Amino acid sequence: MYSRELDGKTYTFGVSGKLWRDALLMYDHQTRSLWSHITGEAIQGKLKGKKLKPLTSIPQIEWKTWMENYPNTKVLSVFVRGSMRESISRDSYERYHTSKDTGVSGTKYTDDRLPNKSLVVGVQVQVIPGADGIAGHAGADGQPGAAGQDGADGGVVELGDSQRNPKQKQHQDSGNTSSRAYPLTQFTKNAFINDSVKGVPLLIFHDKESFATAVFKRIVNNKAILFTSIDGYIAHDNTGTEWNLITGKATSGKYKGKRLERLSAVNIYWFAWARFYPETTIYKP
Amino acid sequence: MKKYSLILTLLLSINICATAADYDNDPIRTLLPFDAIPAITKPQFVPAAEAKLDADAPVIGVTFNDESHAYSLYLLNGHEIVNDVVGGKKVATTW
Repeated sequence: MYSRELDGKTYTFGVSGKLWRDALLMYDHQTRSLWSHITGEAIQGKLKGKKLKPLTSIPQIEWKTWMENYPNTKVLSVFVRGSMRESISRDSYERYHTSKDTGVSGTKYTDDRLPNKSLVVGVQVQVIPGADGIAGHAGADGQPGAAGQDGADGGVVELGDSQRNPKQKQHQDSGNTSSRAYPLTQFTKNAFINDSVKGVPLLIFHDKESFATAVFKRIVNNKAILFTSIDGYIAHDNTGTEWNLITGKATSGKYKGKRLERLSAVNIYWFAWARFYPETTIYKP
Repeated sequence: MKKYSLILTLLLSINICATAADYDNDPIRTLLPFDAIPAITKPQFVPAAEAKLDADAPVIGVTFNDESHAYSLYLLNGHEIVNDVVGGKKVATTW
């Protein structure tokens, strides 16, 4: 999920029909530059080297759970086989998902730290030089992180923008961005992980029932909190606060009404994550 | 719709003969013409109450400024990109 606005201009995107590193290349209708949908960076054309600003989303969640939490949601409707539809019953890529295939390029993927087709939650954390994780960690627009802001405040962005700053050049970006993969197998017994990446305290949540994935900074009022238990997507922390991990909002307890700052996250095959982010670490308990 | 099926079948079945996997130079590979998979540029939406989706259907969910949109992943297989506006934010949802 990316912003379509860049340097004051609005772009629209199409499918180029081309692949790079076995992943989709988008093109923008305005300059026909080619963009990686994994990194959001233009790799060819007039805008080569530019980077789209990543925005947060829930990359996958079952409809029932999404609607429970966002009952006013609207649903994309597309003309398919004679009528407008909100879904079709079949996954066209089912065969690919169940096979051992790794894309179509024939590239041999050799990062054998995990099996190629194992699914991971991929997380990137922007580490601000000189900042030590909690206090100095600024949000994407140079604003303080969303944690601690009142969720009821009108006009506040519900899901915080990602930490990556698109104005930074790529070489700086890679130097300040830390990548970590969380194998889905780590969430079999417990749906959440308290972790820290380069001093930034994170909560990684993956619910195997709804397949929902969410990553938050576990920071409230500049203090790290620790999650201790979970039932479905309702979790408790060490301050006695109850949190909804779909919305990121505290529903009762000490921090009721506060909201955790969400980070960009993807569910992705290991081979693809490792291809784009070879320096990635892998979470180990 | 047959067109989509054909394209998807093509995508899934093409097996480019691997001439010494070019792991380092990362070539751009052309599989299909531009727009053979049609991105959505004018998305249409229905309220949740009118949406026909199975309870366990996988969706991408996004919410900004109290406006929320859900996109069926299975529908996105045939489009890959939705050019959308959510809560005043111009977004590209990609799958």
